Amino acid sequence: MRPNIPRSVAPVAGGAVAADGTWTAAERPGAIAGRLLAHNRVVSALSIVVGLAIWQIAAGQVSDFILPAPLAVFERFADPTWLARLLRALSNSLTQLSLGFALSFCTAVPLGIVIGRSTVLTRMFEPVINALYAIPPVAFVPFLIIWFGLFLEARVALVFLMSFFDILVVVIAGARDVRRPLIDVGQSFGASHVQRLRLIVLPALLPFLFAALRVGSARAINGMITAELFFAAVNLGALMKRASQNFDSAAVLSVVVLVCLLGLAAQSLINMLESHFLRWHVRT
Amino acid sequence: MPQIKDVLLGCTGIALCLLAWEIAGRALGPALLAPPSLVAVDYVGLLRQGDMLRELGFSLRQMAIGFVLACLVGMPLGVVMGRSSLADAIFRPWVSMFVVTSTAALIPLLIMVLGTGLLLRVTIVFLACVWYIALTAYNGARGVSPQQITAARSFSASRFQIFWKIMLPALYPYLLTGARIGLVHAIRAMVMAEMFVIIGYGGLVHRAGLLVETGPLLGLLLTLMIVSLLLNWLLRDAGRRLAPWYEQQRVTL
Repeated sequence: MRPNIPRSVAPVAGGAVAADGTWTAAERPGAIAGRLLAHNRVVSALSIVVGLAIWQIAAGQVSDFILPAPLAVFERFADPTWLARLLRALSNSLTQLSLGFALSFCTAVPLGIVIGRSTVLTRMFEPVINALYAIPPVAFVPFLIIWFGLFLEARVALVFLMSFFDILVVVIAGARDVRRPLIDVGQSFGASHVQRLRLIVLPALLPFLFAALRVGSARAINGMITAELFFAAVNLGALMKRASQNFDSAAVLSVVVLVCLLGLAAQSLINMLESHFLRWHVRT
Repeated sequence: MPQIKDVLLGCTGIALCLLAWEIAGRALGPALLAPPSLVAVDYVGLLRQGDMLRELGFSLRQMAIGFVLACLVGMPLGVVMGRSSLADAIFRPWVSMFVVTSTAALIPLLIMVLGTGLLLRVTIVFLACVWYIALTAYNGARGVSPQQITAARSFSASRFQIFWKIMLPALYPYLLTGARIGLVHAIRAMVMAEMFVIIGYGGLVHRAGLLVETGPLLGLLLTLMIVSLLLNWLLRDAGRRLAPWYEQQRVTL
């Protein structure tokens, strides 16, 4: 995509490259999407405003205990004492999130590369991985309690467990996707094993690593809040449990919104990093 | 010939993992990790007792309600979003917000709103899988070849005909993949909701966790794994039977 080409030239240039079909297909929908984007943003913003307004009116019809109104949730965020408690809990929660996620990413990526690069290993371990992946991670909670207790170690273990297989599966797919001719060329130019891995396999793998980050971080955040609710209730989970015992549904929802915002922030951060480091790669 | 080799390799992998598990289990003892030989004995016990299968049937029936509802809502939603930029703009912020919201975080709130009955569990299963089903259908709907639609239009096909003869066949593999992805999330959500309110199969898992031995617990996990793999395989097989010409087409998300 080259935005600096004037629109009037683009069709001509597109026609010229159309033979191998790489340019026109990428450029045309891109141009249309660019024009629609401004218009669509307004509609999206309107949709959120209208949705919140409907919710506010609907919440007015029923009891506050049952359905909190969006304004009540905003008030919660504006309340400095509650906000301080929320942020303190969040920063504590981030400990287990970062520990568990770092652990799963650092083990799943090398393991995925080793398994994915070898056809024999892939064939051997694919059924096992599929089988383990099929078990809902939450079902391991009683098991993790036996092994790790109820506190930080158990929470880290659940975050690890919930993100590990999702990352592993993506990395294996990526490692298998490296094009054979590229490796053959490297080999015929006398690249050593390490050089082939560093110069060919890893760059080809980068888009998949970002995909793994995206999927893995979403699962890890999910694991973070799940762990706080299913083991000893601490941090955000404790705030939620206490608020729900007091029938303070607006406070409960404010925690949900915070977790949701954390997820969205992680996704957009990863997308930003990806567009910065992977300018050469066109996402399809 | 290569198929036989693959199967053999797969079996070797499984055998190796079972062996590693057996050795680790013998070393750690049944209180920490029951070895497969012990789990097999416990598994027969679980089957004889009958609790496991009864609770499983109970849980799966409830999950099916949520899952089917999610398909009925998610598939049309995704297709409409994929075909109309207006619908895309309206629903996209909501879908992308809900898809990152973890279902576990919603449980305390939903318990306050819906109580701990059937409605809660169906809602949680629905919320856990509907967005994945919608997003897969959305990707499929955006990928429908514009050339084919233009060609049909120039042969004066009606809107209904375009939908029935071009869109639907092109969407079919995506809808099926969406259903399979959704099913994984539905099973996860089912177990999570049931473990939270301690009922059904999830309740059984929770109670097994309180025992001194880990054998029955691992047996219950084994059944979950078998069910999940079986349902996934059934959906894929149904897809092959209904439209064998999509055998080659692989959809990735």
